[in-house]
Amino acid sequence: MPNKNSIEVRNLVKTYGDVYALKNVDLDIADGEYFVLLGPSGGGKTTLLRSIGGFIRPDSGTVQIKGKNVDNLPPDKRPTSMVFQGFALFPHMSVYENIGYGLKLKSIEKGIIHDKVIKMMDLVGLSGLSDRKPHELSGGQQQRVQLARALILENDVLLLDEPLSALDAQLRKDMCIELKRLQKTVGISFVHVTHNQEEAMSVADRIAIIADGEMVEQGSPKEIYSNPKKKFTAEFIGEKNILNGVVIDFNKSKILVNIEKDEIEVANNNYTIAKNQEISLSIKSESIQISKVSSSKTQGAKNSIRGKVTEITFLGQFIRYLVLLSNNQEIQVRSNNEVEGVSLNDQINLTWSLDDFLIHES
Amino acid sequence: MSLRDDFQPRWKLALKWGWLAFAVFILMAPTFYTVYISFNELGFGAKYYIFTFQWYESVFSDRQLLGALGWTMLLALITLPIVIPFGLLSAKLYKQSSKKVWIVFVLLSPLFVPADILASALLVFFKNLNKVFTFIADFTGIYALESWFDLGIMTAVIGLIVYTLPYVFVVIMITMARYRNEQTEAARDLGASAWRAFWEIEFPQIRAGVFSACAFVVILTFNEYTRTSLLKGGFDTFTSVLISQMLNTGMSEESYAMASIVSLVAILIVSSILIFTALRTEEMEKVTRIVKEPNK
Repeated sequence: MPNKNSIEVRNLVKTYGDVYALKNVDLDIADGEYFVLLGPSGGGKTTLLRSIGGFIRPDSGTVQIKGKNVDNLPPDKRPTSMVFQGFALFPHMSVYENIGYGLKLKSIEKGIIHDKVIKMMDLVGLSGLSDRKPHELSGGQQQRVQLARALILENDVLLLDEPLSALDAQLRKDMCIELKRLQKTVGISFVHVTHNQEEAMSVADRIAIIADGEMVEQGSPKEIYSNPKKKFTAEFIGEKNILNGVVIDFNKSKILVNIEKDEIEVANNNYTIAKNQEISLSIKSESIQISKVSSSKTQGAKNSIRGKVTEITFLGQFIRYLVLLSNNQEIQVRSNNEVEGVSLNDQINLTWSLDDFLIHES
Repeated sequence: MSLRDDFQPRWKLALKWGWLAFAVFILMAPTFYTVYISFNELGFGAKYYIFTFQWYESVFSDRQLLGALGWTMLLALITLPIVIPFGLLSAKLYKQSSKKVWIVFVLLSPLFVPADILASALLVFFKNLNKVFTFIADFTGIYALESWFDLGIMTAVIGLIVYTLPYVFVVIMITMARYRNEQTEAARDLGASAWRAFWEIEFPQIRAGVFSACAFVVILTFNEYTRTSLLKGGFDTFTSVLISQMLNTGMSEESYAMASIVSLVAILIVSSILIFTALRTEEMEKVTRIVKEPNK
């Protein structure tokens, strides 16, 4: 992992009337890092990206790119390039003219522009399409034109604002691989905004969760998915079950929690807690095993809870069970195969490993 | 709204088109009748029809009318480079502003004031302004200021700007509505100045609207009577000469020829604008839709 910071954001604040779009956001993005800003719509991630790109002037705070303060620089004077959500290709220009436009603005010699455009078209897989107009291209090809147009300027940072949101699911997956490959090839920092978890997980070196204008949490995709520190992250990432409870007792290895009518045990991973403290816990839907009450599988399980199956949904690669607990909370369980003997309205046992339950800061 | 409905009987569709054709005929019949008369050597109400160009020859040998035509063209040519940038800026302001209703209200308000009242108001305003400038000229000794707001080309042009700006604004605004600002941001991001982003990216996409607005200004300048008559000072415009001739001598055969020229030129220009704008709009809509929804 590279050490030197490419982007440093400090105490960034942006308001629209009484609404805070960004609240004292701090962010460090390393040189050559693929960084993803992930969060729900309206959470402030695009505002943060556009502040870095110079399209929005923040109310306060600073942005440094490669150690240089860029607070008073317009977009065309910043060492960044932007890939826009709606592609923003120039419809009256050909693919070649779109890609070469930035170089033309720099008054670079035509021969050099030609060589660079052809090289860039090869890199993004657009060879042979130079005379086409944007509307004659597929969605994926249009996105490649936009990438080529931004990368040809060889700026220090590429900003991508929901770049794959207009593409269909399969094309999005392909483009994720393509983006990651491109980033490795050009070696600059990519800052990618998305609300799609799968997209974020598949391209990111690091992910920042942003919601309500605040930086919720940052970490590697694995850290964010498997060990979210904040309740919001646990709710937002993956298919998680969130339970609220009160600490009854704890020791160095285990915590006993009351979730209304049931008591469960979870592993104590050095949590700072106290008796009678209200806490929230989460568990991934794929970490829960489901079995019939009479089944012998429940024997020896480290923890278990009873419930009633209220819904069974076939989702292609897996089956989702919706289980109603005695305290009226619903739990989702994801199973790769249909669980033998479990059908709708059956009383079942849910079991899990102690380590699978996580306690979160709210 | 489309006239087609896949489930309606064919006779209903024919009836709708028939009604449309009838409405157009009723609206245009007097104009085409005027054109018809203008080519008759024996004039209006004659029992026989003998085709001739003589009334048109008379029109083009009428020095007063040709002079008025020149003045009107001059007015249009001076008004154009002022009102078009005004309209463009207003449309851009409208697009960027959150107070859209207010901008539309302010810019279209001259259309809601009757022409006579607006022209009289401008006349009084200029007369008073003239007094102020005369005072300033006397006070400063710069006597060039004295004649700034004398009735003439400048006051007539101001009157025309007030009159044509709402039309220019609406025409450009409609074309601009389809332009996506993200493209300007993309151009700025690639290193374009604000002007280059406008000229090289935005303008080619709104050109149809701007050219249409120019044509409208020329037509409206030719069409305008009340404002230019009150504000023109010592020169005559095409319409004012035409109307005064009609008032003084009645409708002559030359009048029919003149009316026909103006009508046909206007119809030709307006039809061209409508067809060009419709085709361009359709093309831009197609391009925008495909670029915005690439997988559809």
